[in-house]
Amino acid sequence: MMKFLTKINRNYFILLTLILLLSSFGGYFIVQAIIVNETKESLLKKEVLIINQIRETGEIPTIYPIVEVKKIHRKTIEKPLFKKIHIKDELEDELEPFLEYSNKVKINDSYYLIKLRQSTFENKDLIIVLALTLFVLLSSAFGISFFISKKMNKTIWSDFEHNLQEIENFNLKENKNIYLLKSDIEEFNRLNKVIKNLTKKLKTDYLSLKEFTENASHEIQTPLSIVLLNLEEVLQQDLTKEIFKKIVSSINAIKRLSTLNQSLILLTKIENRQFIADKTISFNDLVKRKLQEFASLVETKKLNVEFHIEQDFVLKMNDQLAELLVNNLLSNAINHNIKGGKIQISIKKKTIKICNTGKTNSLTDETIFNRFASGNLKSYGLGLAIVKNICETHDLEIHYLKNEFHCFTINPKF
Amino acid sequence: MKILIIEDEIELLLTISNYLIKENYICELAENLRKADEKLSIYEYDVILLDINLPDGNGLELLKTIKKHQIKSGVIIISAKNSLDDKINGLDLGADDYITKPFQLSELNSRIKAVLRRRQFDGTNILKFNEISLNTDSKSITVKGKEITFTKKEYELLLFFLINKNRVLTKEAIAEHLWGDNIDLADNFDFIYTHLNNIRKKIKKAGGTDYIKTIYGMGYKFTE
Repeated sequence: MMKFLTKINRNYFILLTLILLLSSFGGYFIVQAIIVNETKESLLKKEVLIINQIRETGEIPTIYPIVEVKKIHRKTIEKPLFKKIHIKDELEDELEPFLEYSNKVKINDSYYLIKLRQSTFENKDLIIVLALTLFVLLSSAFGISFFISKKMNKTIWSDFEHNLQEIENFNLKENKNIYLLKSDIEEFNRLNKVIKNLTKKLKTDYLSLKEFTENASHEIQTPLSIVLLNLEEVLQQDLTKEIFKKIVSSINAIKRLSTLNQSLILLTKIENRQFIADKTISFNDLVKRKLQEFASLVETKKLNVEFHIEQDFVLKMNDQLAELLVNNLLSNAINHNIKGGKIQISIKKKTIKICNTGKTNSLTDETIFNRFASGNLKSYGLGLAIVKNICETHDLEIHYLKNEFHCFTINPKF
Repeated sequence: MKILIIEDEIELLLTISNYLIKENYICELAENLRKADEKLSIYEYDVILLDINLPDGNGLELLKTIKKHQIKSGVIIISAKNSLDDKINGLDLGADDYITKPFQLSELNSRIKAVLRRRQFDGTNILKFNEISLNTDSKSITVKGKEITFTKKEYELLLFFLINKNRVLTKEAIAEHLWGDNIDLADNFDFIYTHLNNIRKKIKKAGGTDYIKTIYGMGYKFTE
């Protein structure tokens, strides 16, 4: 992942470098072609001068290695020929590049072989200088425009950057409106408008759901209490077995209804992210404390608890949810255990693992966390759904693995 | 023992007070904060049952005043929300206990008694039923003057029965009282049965009577 500006600048830079290299090379070859052409033309001009001189004076001029004229006897007239050759420089004892022009001509009834040469050594230097100049000019022009566009982008995107930060800091739980900077760029203003509408909608949704969960809890639990207390009073009368049974089953149904209601409301609250992650939780301490709370249940079921800590698992999260997480996992490990069974808890820096012996079930990693997925008829199947929800809202992963033990493993997502 | 019940739902208020009157408490009722405040400024109470959600305010506010002016009163918070926040705040502000709606009367009675015991209002820490007597200070039980050793759970179970004598208690209510809400209730009925049998055996062995009656296999009653 890279920043938008970095991405643009990088693409821009790559493009410019390509253009620069291509145009420098192109320039080099074009200049070279022009110079070769010029050289050829000048050699042809010299030939005309030499032919004229031979024709008028009969003198054969020779200046090695530039001009070489020989009388020949052949009568064939071949085409003039340009050739690149290397000639040894006597002074510097090096091979030097030359362009050679050779032609056989007939002057005053005699045949001559004319060889004209011009050093291309200086030409090469010239070409390089020219290409370099081109390179420097282009790269400085590109450099300046690159710098200017970068500066410009920064000012253009600064408002966007500010707005982005504002959106990042936006928190539904704080009763604060989002404040976005106005821009003179149409697309940015459109984006701002969309975000403003979205946050407004989010906020009303959040608040209405929050209000609903609060009301639903109170408004439902109170009548349930009345029903429950009345049934309990009726239970104290002299009743036939049949009526007694009906009342007990009604009491249990009411309790079940109340637990379900509370669990579903809790799930909604977690999904609505109404809990603020503001505490640093040591899972080591939390599990220890919870084990103490569960001690009597563990003892009753004659369970053997092994607790192994390699390093404390510390996480910033809501304390109620952390407590609920450990509570539900432990009570799950106890309730679905067999008498005289085992519970193994291990805490590492980035992992919490809770394993328990228990009866086999048909649940898998995919299905066990579903709402109302329950391994036996007596439990409601919401405890682990709540655990899963808590994990998901805290960037934690939870997995269920079934082998000799039933194991739940929690670790951070990244 | 004088109890103030603060609860906005009239029917609930009456059901609780009817039950507590039968259990020989003196009850006063208040259905909102204003009335509760009035009563608290005139009378003293041993226990105050305080609902948090009241039409004219939050019960926790009242808890602050109670703790300022009626230090001796025990306070049990009643809440419809199973919210740990309320629980922690309530206990921090000096409440003695916290009970969530819906609750059962036997459980409420047990909690009230526990608060009274802790605050030493009863004057006595001994619960008696014929030849059986239970001392809540030393957590000991004697039958016909002879001390019998009980396990912790057996003691808790007998205490629950003695507090709720002559009342039908369902197995579920007993399991919830002994192990809390976190359990798979049905799973623990066997344990209740074992504990009950142990209690019966121990009392009989000491020459006492078995007062625990089983009612249609679904509940129990501690009675003559």
